[in-house]
Amino acid sequence: MKEIIAFIRTSKMNATKKTLDELNISSVTAIPVFGRGKQRGLNPVLAGIELSNDAIVKGNITGMKFVPKRMLIIVAKEEEVNVIINALVKVNKTGFIGDGKIFVCPTDNAIRVRTNESGYAAL
Amino acid sequence: MKMIRAIVRPEMSDNVTEGLADAGFYSLTKMPVFGRGKQKGLTIGNAHYDELPKMLIIIVVEDKSVDEVLKVIQYKAYTGSEGDGKIFISPVDSALTVRTGSKEL
Repeated sequence: MKEIIAFIRTSKMNATKKTLDELNISSVTAIPVFGRGKQRGLNPVLAGIELSNDAIVKGNITGMKFVPKRMLIIVAKEEEVNVIINALVKVNKTGFIGDGKIFVCPTDNAIRVRTNESGYAAL
Repeated sequence: MKMIRAIVRPEMSDNVTEGLADAGFYSLTKMPVFGRGKQKGLTIGNAHYDELPKMLIIIVVEDKSVDEVLKVIQYKAYTGSEGDGKIFISPVDSALTVRTGSKEL
């Protein structure tokens, strides 16, 4: 059993949900989060954007330290992991900075609260 | 690769993220959460607060950097009183950058 934690653009949420639905993976947890990656958020100085004097005077040079993202948590069987990751990449790839990251973590067990099933039956 | 989940005071979260950035760990995710710990929330006079607001910071690093990150978070989030938070470390099998497809962090 694996836990897939994906950080994606908020605007790609609907498309991602639709794709996962088509794959019959309907159980997803989505949380709005704030984050940044290697590019340190939206930083005009590091991105090499020329700033106008006006912006510098007003102090608008910090950009955005943390960018709003959506965090998806999907717990799935081992054999489904690659299918899900490929689908996520296909939908979320725009080629621009900020497409997100996907992590795969091991999970020991899952339990369905209503029926007390555990293991793969609970997924 | 390890995923470090740190639950810190909301007022200290900026302190922690700045500290991590200074140490060279720019990539992280944070979110506001509510929770309680060993002290079962907080009681002030007659008012009991069962769940207290905290900030959850998630950062994935290489195995060799774990100790340094822990040290930074611990140092930056420390006030000495109850409710400073907790740090959890869990394994990560693999990482993938959507844009480039690279398996590195």
